[in-house]
Amino acid sequence: MAVRKVSARSVGKRVFLYGMMVSLLTFGLYAIYLDFAVRERFEGKRFALPARVYARPLELYPGLKLTPADLAAELALLGYRQVKSPLEPATYRWEGRQLDLVTRSFVYGDGPQPPILCSVAFSEGRIVSLTDRKRRSALQLVRLDPALIGGIFPGKNEDRVLIELRTVPRLVVDALLAVEDRRYYRHHGIDPRGMARALLMTLSGKSVQGGSTITQQLVKNFYLTAERTLRRKFTEMIMAVLLEMHYSKEEILETYLNEVYLGQDGNRAIHGFGLASVHFFDKPLSRLRPSEAALLVGLLKGPAYYSPRNHPRRALDRRNLVLSQMVEAGFLPEQQAAEARAMPLGVVERPPRGTSPYPAFLKLVHRQLQRDYRDEDLRSEGLLIFTTLDPRVQRMAEEAVQKHLAHLEAIRGIKSGTLQGAAIFTDTQSAEVQACVGGREPRFEGFNRVVDARRPVGSLIKPVVFLTALQHPSRYTLATLLDDGPLVYRQAGAEDWIPQNYDKQHHGKVSMREALIHSYNVATVRLGLSVGVDSVMANIRQLGVERELTGFAASLLGADALSPLEVAQLYQTLAGGGFRTPLRAIREVLTAEGEPLQRYPLNVEQVIRPAPVYLVTTALQSVVREGTAQKLYNRLSPDLGIAGKTGTTDDYRDSWFAGFAGDRLGVVWVGRDDNEPAGFSGAGAAMGIWGDIMVGLDPEPLTLVPPDNVEWVWIDPASGLRSAANCPGAVELPFISGSAPTRSADCGPHSVGHRIKTWFKGLFE
Amino acid sequence: MNKTLIKWLVPAILLLIAGCAVPPQKQTAPAPSGNLAVTSLLGKARSQTAAGRLSDASVSLERALRIEPRNALLWHELARVRLAQGQLMQAENLAAKSNSLVPAGHVLRRENWIIIGRARTDLGDLQGARQAFERAE
Repeated sequence: MAVRKVSARSVGKRVFLYGMMVSLLTFGLYAIYLDFAVRERFEGKRFALPARVYARPLELYPGLKLTPADLAAELALLGYRQVKSPLEPATYRWEGRQLDLVTRSFVYGDGPQPPILCSVAFSEGRIVSLTDRKRRSALQLVRLDPALIGGIFPGKNEDRVLIELRTVPRLVVDALLAVEDRRYYRHHGIDPRGMARALLMTLSGKSVQGGSTITQQLVKNFYLTAERTLRRKFTEMIMAVLLEMHYSKEEILETYLNEVYLGQDGNRAIHGFGLASVHFFDKPLSRLRPSEAALLVGLLKGPAYYSPRNHPRRALDRRNLVLSQMVEAGFLPEQQAAEARAMPLGVVERPPRGTSPYPAFLKLVHRQLQRDYRDEDLRSEGLLIFTTLDPRVQRMAEEAVQKHLAHLEAIRGIKSGTLQGAAIFTDTQSAEVQACVGGREPRFEGFNRVVDARRPVGSLIKPVVFLTALQHPSRYTLATLLDDGPLVYRQAGAEDWIPQNYDKQHHGKVSMREALIHSYNVATVRLGLSVGVDSVMANIRQLGVERELTGFAASLLGADALSPLEVAQLYQTLAGGGFRTPLRAIREVLTAEGEPLQRYPLNVEQVIRPAPVYLVTTALQSVVREGTAQKLYNRLSPDLGIAGKTGTTDDYRDSWFAGFAGDRLGVVWVGRDDNEPAGFSGAGAAMGIWGDIMVGLDPEPLTLVPPDNVEWVWIDPASGLRSAANCPGAVELPFISGSAPTRSADCGPHSVGHRIKTWFKGLFE
Repeated sequence: MNKTLIKWLVPAILLLIAGCAVPPQKQTAPAPSGNLAVTSLLGKARSQTAAGRLSDASVSLERALRIEPRNALLWHELARVRLAQGQLMQAENLAAKSNSLVPAGHVLRRENWIIIGRARTDLGDLQGARQAFERAE
């Protein structure tokens, strides 16, 4: 009996053991399968990474022109926090006009830079000193981390505003943890205590709670089915634990913040806090107030049910509940919470259509990248792209375009919204694009007029005609007299062309300098025809316009259509003294791991000899000092020596201005998309915008170093002959050596009149 | 011997040796810039060049050029780095750019013509090189 009993027992035990082993094995295999599945999902989300596009990092140094307000704006863009005692990275405090801050660590193309504790002192619109607060020593240079300005995303309809955990305000994370998962940093993916509490609350009928951790919610988000079975729940739990084994809390949190579903905009799903912030508040996450952060976090529970646009009352209650929970968790002082509760929802009526604050600039970046990368790599390899965008310049350009267009419409009684504009600003020597405004609604990701709008450039082309002539110093100098009398251009098989001046007058004999500064059309056409239209077109190409242009007589007056970007390239080469530097929107590209992949170095190529460029540039300075662009100096100091040119096309369809100071170059266009007359000359619209932007930028003066083979000579403009400084109307002009006139006018150094004067002068000395 | 003393002494000696290993810097122009940020970036570029990190050196020089875009010495140094990188056309053009920013007779002119001469030599343009070297005289 005993034997049988034992054997029965042992059989049972064995069956049990086998059963255990089989189920353990099954469970193990299942876990391995889940592990594989969840990692694949996570990696897929994380490593199908869009390229991240950054603005230029702001470099602080003593002497830099920067106001406290400028720096404050930059810090806001970077999501730095104002605190009482800045010791943590990305915090600051103002002490009067001095700023104490701690920079955020960042990996640049030339290596990592750890956080720096420093003080910045300002005086008269400049930084006067930088101090290392730890070592109490002077600093020469501090580089702030660059602002993330956008991404290049996988899939066409899937847009995100990618955020990095380092730039997510503490407030948002606090609100999230207070409401969704208070023990996030203490659990391992699942939170038994939280679950027990949730179960208790649900059973007691107080409220229905999920008890899911952030990690579980992320796992749930990977699978689109909203299936709510026990098995599903169990799978989620295992996956959450597995996820936590492989990835850090920060990685999981960052992915969560970028993945989670927060609302619907038509057929577009709003995923991620970055996009949600733009969608609801039209501002970056870094600038959210407590009330706004709480609203977004409140949405997690039911994006449709608590939608602030459809159910404002529910959204408000939910938001205030979140605020209370933040107080309860010790993340927010009650007083601040009370203030936040009193705030309205603050949701913008119409969600903005774009996702990047700088779509026009991003398009420029994308175009440059497409030359070197496959689109799928840009969308999935997580490349880090460092661009040249200067948010401060961009902001000023956007504001000036918007303000002026509205003003011009108002004073002329034009229907609001009819006028359009575009602006591009660059650095004169490095050719880095600092700002790109593609239209009057800079956030609208539509037609980018800087890149895609091609318009006749009018008189903007004239400097090239004059440059071409001045390359032949034996035939042409700035003093050479041109005929501005009536001209009929006859060509076989075409109608006669009779070019007219802007003022419908003819000015007889005019010097080349005057013809350019007053923008005389007829004299320019004669000059261009005598040097040859083909030579002028060849120079347009040399200066950097790659588009193939046929070239006909009317090209001499700018009948050819170019984009503002192309015009900027052309003037860039003039500003560079005849050295062409391709316009650049990107400095370098790093891999997701921060390894340099490609640099876009500063390249120059001498395409025009310096002397003729110098001559044309001085004439362009005269355009602003005494010619068609005089009004610019109503607002800017004449000491800036700005070189510029206005452009107006037939029937006032296009208003252009292109010009440069010592350090900045800009091109502005104003017109209508339907190409109907807008009614403005170059000086009437585009120049005002250009001037406004430059006033804000406070540029460096343009001081030119004369090339070796250039000499300055006093000239009598009426006769084009040599003169002297004290002669009436005399102007001092630069000449390429050997090209200055040898004969003197009546008052000149070798004239009879001059000799008599010197003789008299000698008597009295 | 005192352990703490050794702990301090060894690195100090190492630092001294390391300091001696840095080659003395070449005197090119009297004062590179009145801007200390530019001076420090120039110093950084030179030590990067000495360490053979030419690509990093050019990044530092470009940073300096953003602060002082018309500083001929910076363009000259960039030309020097490009020459070392074997980017001969760039070396020649950058040196010419540097020349265009200083008046005749400036010390940098000579240095720039030497770079142009070397670049042309390596490009096989011997006549052009000779002309450049003559201008450096």
